[in-house]
Amino acid sequence: MTAKDTSSVFSRLSLFLRAGLIGLLMIYRRLISPLYGPVCRFFPSCSAYALEAVTVHGAFKGTWLATKRMCRCHPWNDGGVDHVPPGGKRFAPGEEPQIVVLNHPVIPADEESRPAA
Amino acid sequence: MDFFETILLPFRWLVSWVMWAFHEGFTFLGMDAASGWTWTLSIVGLVVVIRAALIPVFVKQIKAQRGMQALQPDLRKLQQKYKGKTDQLSRQAMTQEQMALYKKHGTNPFAACLPILIQMPFFFALFTVLNGVSKASDNGEGIGALTVEDVRQFDAAEIFGAPLSSSLLHGWGTEGHGAVAVLSIIMIIAMTASQFITQKQIMAKNMSEEAMQSPFMRQQKMMLYILPLVFGVGGINFPIGVLIYWTTTNLWTMVQQFYVIRRMPTPGSPAAKALAERRAKKGLPMVPLLGEKKAEPAVEAVEPAKGQRVQPQRKNRKRK
Repeated sequence: MTAKDTSSVFSRLSLFLRAGLIGLLMIYRRLISPLYGPVCRFFPSCSAYALEAVTVHGAFKGTWLATKRMCRCHPWNDGGVDHVPPGGKRFAPGEEPQIVVLNHPVIPADEESRPAA
Repeated sequence: MDFFETILLPFRWLVSWVMWAFHEGFTFLGMDAASGWTWTLSIVGLVVVIRAALIPVFVKQIKAQRGMQALQPDLRKLQQKYKGKTDQLSRQAMTQEQMALYKKHGTNPFAACLPILIQMPFFFALFTVLNGVSKASDNGEGIGALTVEDVRQFDAAEIFGAPLSSSLLHGWGTEGHGAVAVLSIIMIIAMTASQFITQKQIMAKNMSEEAMQSPFMRQQKMMLYILPLVFGVGGINFPIGVLIYWTTTNLWTMVQQFYVIRRMPTPGSPAAKALAERRAKKGLPMVPLLGEKKAEPAVEAVEPAKGQRVQPQRKNRKRK
């Protein structure tokens, strides 16, 4: 087996795992997470972070990133905004997966002068 | 499954050891070692140990929620900014800005999933311990810190004629199954009721008006109706011993919530007004209902400017 074959087996396995993980995370986010409401101290929430990490960085690095994030999410951490590091898969403009779009919302500018409606 | 077992092993040891210790203690105090009540109290003891260990996390949470008062003006500004924007992306943007705000003020109203995650391995460990009692007893094995003798004793232990190790669904035809069914159903109702009361208490008394209008509330309401279902399904599947643990921990949550709502209510909530009134009646000084921060006088100065002091009362009446 050449090095190229090994790497293609590896990348196929990775793609397969990635699809499985994305499925599991989506089921969790749809069915289980709403049960106890938002509890996460971060934006994006841990499950949104994990979904984006696996989507963008693949099964292995994504899982690693998500695990690190979950270890950061405890009552003695102040939380805040914590995005998935950039890199990994690139998407054409307008073709980003929904989770990537949702995790990076455009923050509208503050309009201090706008009269309160 | 083996991987799962390995992770649970230390928790099984801990859980079984705590139960064993309580059992020994109660026996030493003169209770019958073989009685189901001694074992029931051992399970209750386990709940007390786990929940007491989680109190610091809870207190941290309460304090963080009190700290929220300081950033109310900023939060209100944010709500104004996103008023009427209900699409998902705007909501996401608002959440992101909100999180940044919490970080800036060093306070965060969310508990993180840690308290839930911590309890899970204990619950699973307890479940496998209690669930495995019958089998281990038949095979003459011990479980964790429990000796073969303890396991046999536990397997035979019963309360109101219902064996602690049998469940509604998996005990058909065995002795005392009628009692198991009745006890399971009573505990399912007790769990559901305590959950319901806890949630209602929080929603009706301990939420500021801002929090009442957040989307978080919708999910809370959903949970109010889904959890009884979970208790129902679990309740008929799990052995009586597990149900005792579950019911006790729910009751603990309810009492803890009662205490917190009465003594340390969320500022701006109906319960905070009630506490202020109670204190005024007794002629006690107004305690700062937001923690002992130096920022207190500033907030007091803002209060009268916002409107008459009578107004909160009126709102309170209207909601009823």
